[in-house]
Amino acid sequence: MAKGNDILKDRKEFICYKSQKEEGSIKCEKDSVAGSVSQRACVYCGARVVLNPITDAFHIVHGPIGCAAYTWDIRGSLSSGSEIYRNSFSTDLREHDVVFGGEKKLTGAIDEIVDKYKPKLIFVYATCIVGVIGDDIDAVCKMAEKKYGIRVIPVKSSGFAGNKSMGYRAAGKALLKLMGDDLPEKEKGINFLGDFNLAGEMWIITGYLRSIGINVIAKITGDSTYKEILEAPKASFNIVQCAGSMTSLAKEMEKKYNIPFVKVSFFGFEDTCTSILTIAQRYGDKEMIKRAEKLINSEKAKYGLKISALRERLKGKKAAIYVGGGFKAISLIKQFNDLGIKSVVVGTQTGRKDEYEVLKSISDEGTVILDDTNPAELEKFIKEKEADLLVGGVKERPLAYKLGLAFCDHNHERKHPLCGFEGALNFAKELDLTVNSPVWEFVKSS
Amino acid sequence: MKNKNFVNLNINPCKMCMPMGAVMALKGIENSMIILHGSQGCSTYIRRHMAGHYNEPIDVGSSSLSEEGTVYGGEANLKKGLINMIKLYSPSIIGVATTCLAETIGEDIKRITEEFKKDNMIVSKKAVEIVPISTPGYGGTQFEGFYGALTSIVKSLSDDKTKNESINIITGCLNPGDIRNIKSILDQFKVKYTILPDVSDTLDSPYKKEYKKIPQGGTKIEDIRKMAGAKATIEMGMTVTGNISPGEYLSDKYKVPLHRCPYPIGIRNTDVFLETISKITGKRTPKKLLEDRGRLLDGMIDSHKFNGEGRAVIFGDPEISYGVGRLCLENGIKPLLIATGSSNKSITELLKKEKHTPLVIDDTDFDTIRKHAVELKANLLIGNSDGKFITEREGIPLVRIGFPIHDRVGAQRSNIVGYNGSLMLLDNMTNTLLENKYNKYRKEMYGKYFSETVKKEETITAKEKTLSHPCFSGGACKVARMHIPVAPSCNIKCNYCNRKYDCMNESRPGVTSEVLSPKEALDKYLTLKEKMPNLKVLGIAGPGDALANFENTIKSLELIKEVDPEVIFCLSTNGLMLPYYADRIIEAGISHITVTINAVDPEIGKKIYSEVNFGGKKLVGKKAAEFLIGNQLSGLSYMASKGIVCKVNIVMIKGINERHIEEVVKEVKSRGVFISNIMPLIPAKGSSFENMPQTNNRELGEMRKKCEKYLKQMYHCKQCRADAVGILGKDVSSQFSKSACSSLKSNKEYTFAIATESGMIIDKHFGHVDEFYIYSSKKGEIKFIEKRSIEKYCTGVSDCDDEDSKIDRLIKTINDCDAVLALRVGYSPQKKMLEKGIKVIQTCGSIKDGVNYAIEVLEKKETCKTVI
Repeated sequence: MAKGNDILKDRKEFICYKSQKEEGSIKCEKDSVAGSVSQRACVYCGARVVLNPITDAFHIVHGPIGCAAYTWDIRGSLSSGSEIYRNSFSTDLREHDVVFGGEKKLTGAIDEIVDKYKPKLIFVYATCIVGVIGDDIDAVCKMAEKKYGIRVIPVKSSGFAGNKSMGYRAAGKALLKLMGDDLPEKEKGINFLGDFNLAGEMWIITGYLRSIGINVIAKITGDSTYKEILEAPKASFNIVQCAGSMTSLAKEMEKKYNIPFVKVSFFGFEDTCTSILTIAQRYGDKEMIKRAEKLINSEKAKYGLKISALRERLKGKKAAIYVGGGFKAISLIKQFNDLGIKSVVVGTQTGRKDEYEVLKSISDEGTVILDDTNPAELEKFIKEKEADLLVGGVKERPLAYKLGLAFCDHNHERKHPLCGFEGALNFAKELDLTVNSPVWEFVKSS
Repeated sequence: MKNKNFVNLNINPCKMCMPMGAVMALKGIENSMIILHGSQGCSTYIRRHMAGHYNEPIDVGSSSLSEEGTVYGGEANLKKGLINMIKLYSPSIIGVATTCLAETIGEDIKRITEEFKKDNMIVSKKAVEIVPISTPGYGGTQFEGFYGALTSIVKSLSDDKTKNESINIITGCLNPGDIRNIKSILDQFKVKYTILPDVSDTLDSPYKKEYKKIPQGGTKIEDIRKMAGAKATIEMGMTVTGNISPGEYLSDKYKVPLHRCPYPIGIRNTDVFLETISKITGKRTPKKLLEDRGRLLDGMIDSHKFNGEGRAVIFGDPEISYGVGRLCLENGIKPLLIATGSSNKSITELLKKEKHTPLVIDDTDFDTIRKHAVELKANLLIGNSDGKFITEREGIPLVRIGFPIHDRVGAQRSNIVGYNGSLMLLDNMTNTLLENKYNKYRKEMYGKYFSETVKKEETITAKEKTLSHPCFSGGACKVARMHIPVAPSCNIKCNYCNRKYDCMNESRPGVTSEVLSPKEALDKYLTLKEKMPNLKVLGIAGPGDALANFENTIKSLELIKEVDPEVIFCLSTNGLMLPYYADRIIEAGISHITVTINAVDPEIGKKIYSEVNFGGKKLVGKKAAEFLIGNQLSGLSYMASKGIVCKVNIVMIKGINERHIEEVVKEVKSRGVFISNIMPLIPAKGSSFENMPQTNNRELGEMRKKCEKYLKQMYHCKQCRADAVGILGKDVSSQFSKSACSSLKSNKEYTFAIATESGMIIDKHFGHVDEFYIYSSKKGEIKFIEKRSIEKYCTGVSDCDDEDSKIDRLIKTINDCDAVLALRVGYSPQKKMLEKGIKVIQTCGSIKDGVNYAIEVLEKKETCKTVI
């Protein structure tokens, strides 16, 4: 348990130090403490980021304008087809609608979209006030489905109804609804859950899989399409990367369609190798395993030396990590270990109990572990642990810079891939760029 | 003028919500914090948005309302949040702003904050000002939220009526760089002032060894208190009035004289600001500022000619758009459109006095702004980063000003106010125009005037364009094409053509089973695109002449281009109208064109063309041919000079033009044609040439070989139908036909229902009919039977809710008919009629022709499977 003036009483149990002596676990998966300046977003955000990469889907945000304004093209997901998902549709509710209800406007909005764009799939997101003003979006969506013979899926994402991970679940439910109730005949192939094709990452991984002879039936959801999601129940198994957002869906798919899943990670050299081999072995095809080994060897040869050179420039540095989910944090610690960087502060917005267990077990003695932290705590522990760099998202970046710290963007908006073999090199490159930049000399001597 | 493309939808918002404005205002108060009463996401989104723009840590609290708080009230959460924030940040003032959620569940933040203040005083003994601010997300935009929050602050704090010499300066949503410049202007005047809010340091703080959780700087609370006794208020905001105007509040309550001025952007707006200061203080404009003014004028002269070519679309909050609009007007840049997401009707009024009044739309979105930018042919966008979506799609460059700018650095430092700031902005705009011009002009001039090169370049671009066009690329192409039959009428009469003829088994130009409206063409395109992802080429090949039906043609192209900008357009024409529509079809994105030219000698031409209809005049004989050929050739030359890939079709008619074809090829080659396609005559039944011999393949091959010396020849022509679909040689149009076939009918008496207004021609939409004309036909004799009245089932959108039963009623009236003939028939009635075995024929022209056509259709042996 942590002490200090910068830590609120209510927050103390959400913070712990890795210690051999002290047992006991961190408090997590709880509502944010009011006024603590949490870095978390809301249910809607969680649902939107998961569903948004489906490139030919229309996303209508039912609510006042803010929610749509702040999430327009929020994720840097790339598309090989339609670009329609990059638009932000909102019913832009006004005072009048709040008083008299917004169902009519939502119905009209769907009519207009159908008339202009001939969509196949529309997601309708309920924001905070929709439930409060009594709009029945289920009924509106159902009516529209009937009227137009297309899929109009309600996403229950009122912001106050939990945190971002509740939104992930809401998105999972929506996807499941889309996949339908039929149990189709199985095909030889897998679904890839939990990659959002930021900077083409989905393409990199599916490229690997293709090259060893694996057929990817549905990508969920990076660069996916309506049609592709419908095919998903045919898969013989699922691989799940972003566990935070996709585990619930994977479990549901296992129940409903009898598709078992394995967790994978393509962040870092080590994880990428393990994941490729795991998948190949799962198939039990000897030739495939051979191809996988060959792929790994050739990629290692291609990038190994380059990464080694960077390792020389990075080793001994200390890193602080603050990211969305536990999966990403675990994966980052492994990558830092590989590069000779010590992780001294590790935190997540919505990590789960089991993930914190893993985090604790793989981090060094004395590492600070944080759940749903805030700028004040980050500042305190970064200083206390003398971190050289912070990995995080857009909101954390200015804090790092004001503290004179290097920063690595591990967010939705990045423009270079960080997964796979090439991504591992990019990651090391970015760290080198920031940690070894000449600007810090001036900053330190000022 | 509609302010939005859609009624119930905002597509790509050009505004943010009210709490955002409140946060921006509070960030300019010394040692302040703000807490949003609502769910956690609101504060996080706003923080993320602002962090991206200012590159500063933006700490904003949230009462983190949960399900429970929403149901039972969020008071406890809010109070706890306030305590926690005081503990963590020790602020002197906290703004408590509401969100959609708090307002909707009816939280009384005024009472809660007052209670809290009392309780907190007892506990901590340290006064913390708590300012309640009402900012429902649905009540307005960040613009109203900003001024509203300032008013709440002034209402809460300004109570010191003791007269003082200071001037209140209420600034708008400007950047720290702007505020620093405004302060510098005031300092040069050597006047005392209180600037509210002062974000100059708080949102652009210098790097310091020690990090402060709340950045230093901002308007001091004691200065805000004294605003009630100030000498005057200058409020920047011409459209800010009523309960969101702090200046009006101070004027009403404390009689502080209010001077309203625009954001000081541009020479006139800056003049107003400086004159206002002079008026209040009696001080003259300092020399350095006058020099700045001179420098601005000097800069305006330097760049005026470049700016004269500027066609700008300006968007953002109402005040910044107004300011920049005026700056443009001063410099000869044409502001074509001023757009704002706020509901604000005042800008139009304000701009009325200007010599040139731009189009002004408020309460709009980026989808609409984009549409206007394209239609108005803008070459400059001025506004926040969200405009990049227009740049990305339309290639119009963007000058970034306002908020948010999250895809470039330095927005917080930028300065666009005062004489010096205006000049920097103007230079930025001019340079953007210049960059665009310089990047293009070499290529443009070269292409326009250096004729030799035009040809070379054309071959290169032709090659590129041609690679993906099945007709132009040599056949072995996997790209599918689709011909949309949107052009029913023709303006010339060729002796080899009988367009009434319709046959599913013969593939020939000028032949089609159906005619589509542009909207139907779009629908068909979308349906097909889904089934054939390789569908990349879209052509219009009749069944009449694409340019004789120009409005249909262009509308179809525009509709389809809007949904699929990537598609390659081509059209084929007889070339009669080509010189007249050339520019417009190029503009619409046509990249390939085919002109059928059977002769370049009028003497031969007159044997092929029996008449030419031009502008209501009918030409015959040699005159007709002469006129047609002249237009064909000049049209071709023009198209080729514009880089359009041109193909010429030549119908080889034995005994008429076979010896002349080489001449034709040579001539069109000299006009810049890329390829020619010599086609055999197919003697069509009912045409004047029906008894002419068909050209055989050997003769055709020889002719093509002969002509290859002069021009690339097409060997892979499959003579497609006007509604052909698929990859070359594999026409699948019958599967995709709109009106698929019912059962086989024997040769017998038929009854037809005709949708006609005039009773002469088929001229009505099925849904708009209130009476049908019933015709019968027997052994070639067509007879009018009766008029049958029916209840109109479609009178508009409003009463269409019971559409199904209405269609049923309508169909019942014509249940005994074999076919219905109408100008257009909706999808749903079409489907229903097909189910009833009533053939749907969409056609136009005289009833007699229509019925004859219908008989042909009915008597054909068709076996269609798919119905669309």
